[in-house]
Amino acid sequence: MTKHETILSRRAFMVGAGAAGFVCSIGWPEEVEADGAYAPSVWYQIGADGLVTVNVGKADMGQHIASTMAQIVAEELGASWAHMRVNLVGNDPKYVDPVLGANITGGSWSTMMNFDAMSRAGAAGRMALIEAAAPMLGAQVPDCQAYESRIVAKSGKSVSFADVVKSGKLGKTYSADELKAIKLKTADHYTLVGKEVQQIDIPFKVNGSAKYGIDTMLPGMVYGRVVTPPTRYGATVKSVDDSAAKAQVKGFIKAVVVEDPTKTTTGWVVAVAKSYPEAIDAANLLKVEYDKGPNAAVASETILAEARRLQTVPDAGVFYVKEGDAPGALSKAAKVIEAEYTTEINIHCPMEPMNATCEIKGGVVHLYSGNQFMTRSTAIAAGVAGVDPKNVVIHQAWLGGGFGRRLDSDMFVPAVAAAKSTGLPVKVIYSREHDMTMDFTRPLTYQKLRAGLDENNRLIAVDHDLVSAWPTARWGIPAFMTPGVANKGALDGFAVHGSDFYYSVPNHTVRTILNELAQKATPSGQLRSVAPGWTFWAVESLVDEVAHAIGRDPAEFRLAMLDGKGDNDGAQRLANTLRAAMGLAGYGALKLPKGEGIGVACVSSQERKTSTWTSAAAHVAVADDGTVTVKKLTVATDVGVAVNPDGVRAQVMGAASWGLSLAMYEVATMKDGAIEQTNFDTYTPLRMADVPEIDIAIIANGDDYPRGVGEPAVTVIAPALGNAIFNAVGARVRALPITAASVKAAMKKA
Amino acid sequence: MEAPLVQKGRPGVASHDSVFPGRPKGGNMPDLTINGRKVAVNADKTTPLLWIIRESLQMTGTKFGCGAGLCGACTVHLDGVAVRSCQTQLSEAIGRKITTIEGLSAHGDHPLQKAWVAEQVPQCGYCQSGQIMQAASLLSHNPAPTRAEIVEAMNGNLCRCMTYPRIVKAIERAANELRAANDSAGRKA
Repeated sequence: MTKHETILSRRAFMVGAGAAGFVCSIGWPEEVEADGAYAPSVWYQIGADGLVTVNVGKADMGQHIASTMAQIVAEELGASWAHMRVNLVGNDPKYVDPVLGANITGGSWSTMMNFDAMSRAGAAGRMALIEAAAPMLGAQVPDCQAYESRIVAKSGKSVSFADVVKSGKLGKTYSADELKAIKLKTADHYTLVGKEVQQIDIPFKVNGSAKYGIDTMLPGMVYGRVVTPPTRYGATVKSVDDSAAKAQVKGFIKAVVVEDPTKTTTGWVVAVAKSYPEAIDAANLLKVEYDKGPNAAVASETILAEARRLQTVPDAGVFYVKEGDAPGALSKAAKVIEAEYTTEINIHCPMEPMNATCEIKGGVVHLYSGNQFMTRSTAIAAGVAGVDPKNVVIHQAWLGGGFGRRLDSDMFVPAVAAAKSTGLPVKVIYSREHDMTMDFTRPLTYQKLRAGLDENNRLIAVDHDLVSAWPTARWGIPAFMTPGVANKGALDGFAVHGSDFYYSVPNHTVRTILNELAQKATPSGQLRSVAPGWTFWAVESLVDEVAHAIGRDPAEFRLAMLDGKGDNDGAQRLANTLRAAMGLAGYGALKLPKGEGIGVACVSSQERKTSTWTSAAAHVAVADDGTVTVKKLTVATDVGVAVNPDGVRAQVMGAASWGLSLAMYEVATMKDGAIEQTNFDTYTPLRMADVPEIDIAIIANGDDYPRGVGEPAVTVIAPALGNAIFNAVGARVRALPITAASVKAAMKKA
Repeated sequence: MEAPLVQKGRPGVASHDSVFPGRPKGGNMPDLTINGRKVAVNADKTTPLLWIIRESLQMTGTKFGCGAGLCGACTVHLDGVAVRSCQTQLSEAIGRKITTIEGLSAHGDHPLQKAWVAEQVPQCGYCQSGQIMQAASLLSHNPAPTRAEIVEAMNGNLCRCMTYPRIVKAIERAANELRAANDSAGRKA
């Protein structure tokens, strides 16, 4: 039994694990509490004006998580939605995720892992308000309830939250045990959860007033423009000649060679000047000599070649899944189907280029930016500044897109180095070219799968080898690693999640092999959906190939294997979403013209224990020259509980669009150790004209808790498209992105 | 709410302080007209308007996205027409009316801004100032755009959150509202 690793409880020990020395207690300046405000816990305070301000430790990158946290609190608190406010908090450890034990936002975890804590926090406030209000209303506690920011007694008398706060009779705080004992509302009593309230942050995002990291303005602030080396990673600066910058740029202050003991960056220089245009001018005039380092010859082709070589090495890698005896079953199988699947490098490129502003004041390093992993970023900044992490304060901003890019900390490095070197507050802004070429990219992946069928055409074995960089291993945090199955050390689950599928297949092996060449040269990061973005591309294509090979309908073939037997409980929900997507798309019912097809895929992204059951049906038309037109995407997703259904739809729409973009529009390549694409002319995410009709069905039976929605739909689109193309013209594509040329080539083989 | 409703003390106007004093080819404090107010800037006339607006005037609603005219995040109006401020030199803006997201409406209540809220368009929101300015330029020249015309006008504006379907709906909603307002004004007259 290997599939049921207990990810959540393991991560909960992260604080204690003390990886990289950064999870120590971080000091914090005294916080000023609003006059007379009541804070039943760290998560929110109620002001004398009745406004409820929720302290949000999550990075809000457009998923409206701040608003969602407020909505969960307001449900149990009984507050009016109009009275809810949010406050983005920084790296203060008192706001760490209650399950993950760190200031981190990713994995589609936030709503799932904070729902309970925020509900309890809200309920505690309600109980305290009622306790204080009951005597004011001449009522008994059990006869009072909270509704629309008022405590209402059975008699009909009521008092506003504001007046209860002003009475000064509040002050109760709740211990962890008391919070745990609270009986929460059941779904049938929800009045706000499940309601499509307006997201709190949206009004500020239509009038230009929402503040992102790049909008930071500090008195006396100067500007930094980075100069990056000709290789992505591993270069060193041999010399810097700033004479031209000195001579020609009046506002030039200095060129700072970044000393980075954390090794987050290599070979970076910052041109510091009084204004950003001057910093750009100065940066362009710096003459920097580099040692290009050990990765200067690495290219996408060499990474792929190395991956193919590693896959043939018998002892390489670590087993993630080992159920039954897949090699044995394959050797005896009546039929074996073998296929390899690849994905290319992909770039995050959020619209807000990476940036950070640093001011070192009284020995405290203040950082202004939007960041998804403040716990780690604190450590990185401290390392560069040479201070104790407790002297690093991150001021969190709204994120102009995250998608996993802002889990990394590189933007803090040049900002801290420049502020330290100049003694001035410095705002460092990457150009788009820096942002793209210095990304922590989605890795190039190579997967080889073998499927074995018995004489009755039952799928009895899947053997799955996966070679890639390991995005999360790079962080060096043991708590984020997963023990391998066969005692060969730890593996990076974020390279293989999703390969542990829910199909009932008696013999199943997944081996993950670290591609060191890619790990050193690229290095890779977490891009929206991470591993399931490539594992399901392989698994869901393979399952389709097997079905066609034995003359079965691919959707029906899947449903038969999603029986929920053994340790696959949950597969029934996945089957349910597949049926929903098929039905909505008209799978098997629509009469399609020649050259058109509908293909399906189903996924349990993100992780085995955090699955959001999601299926898609893609409807495509394929022209004779291989051009694919996506006519419609239908996505059905079972989220358990939808806190804000409109917000869920927005996330699933965005995620599905990302899936399409990664499948057909985005490709980056490495040559001479550098990413070749530098701007949106050569790296080309989906634009408005590329968007097909997207139909989304949210299944929320309220059976348990809310599941994540930011990523899963990313992972289901590419295989659905590939399978649709096969259904349309009999051409099987096995490489992402899908291009007209690759489809045409596959058509010739068909 | 962390984000202030308005930038206090910075109502879209800079003082006569020199803006980028260090730039070598500095002009003679040319006047810019931005959101109906005159401001003086002392900067190299080749400086991209984007950086004048964002960093010297500190009107940060206009965003830097690509610096190459490829994404539309920096879109502002020059005499009512959408331009990419990263590709517009200061000299090209002198003597013309510049409008940024902060000046599109008095209280953030342009029909497009209201429609953007009604359709809950923004996710991260970073590109949305540019999207709205681009859409406002479209509607001022074509009050009844077809879907195809909307896509054609908006295709240069990237949204990495890919909120495109909601952008289309919001533009159609605003266009309808504008037409209804015009119709009723016409009837009254």
